[in-house]
Amino acid sequence: MDSFSSPSVGSSPKFSTEDLMGQLKVQLAQAYAEEFLETVRGKCFEKCITKPGSSLSGSESSCISRCVDRYIEANGIIGRALFNAQR
Amino acid sequence: MENSPEFQQLITQEREKAMVNEMIAKLTTVCWDKCITGTPGSKFSSSESSCLTNCAQRYMDMSLIIMKRFQNMQ
Repeated sequence: MDSFSSPSVGSSPKFSTEDLMGQLKVQLAQAYAEEFLETVRGKCFEKCITKPGSSLSGSESSCISRCVDRYIEANGIIGRALFNAQR
Repeated sequence: MENSPEFQQLITQEREKAMVNEMIAKLTTVCWDKCITGTPGSKFSSSESSCLTNCAQRYMDMSLIIMKRFQNMQ
């Protein structure tokens, strides 16, 4: 990812390890969230907007809300399934 | 301090966490397509949620088989 730069050794202001790790974690979380959102957009468009009209209908809007909730729930189910399988 | 072993270890941990999250995200896209065939409801049916669990676990079983088979070919 080029969304964060690595300080060149010896010439940068001295960031503590904590500062650097904090920045890294924030960047990673943001990149992950954006990628996740992009996936949700794709999946829910596919499921809910079968014939795009001149505006979003009420049923399309509520489908989208449910879809987002279910997708996030599915992500949790998958995560737990993977870590219950490793004993 | 970027070269310190402590920092390197923290980087390694973050990389592993990122890889795990990536695996979960990827499996969710695959298993969503396999298991959620209709319009999303206000909750999952029990067959949908067990499908998702089974999907993730069978995928991991499959990964193991593929790895072993591939290793046997080396």
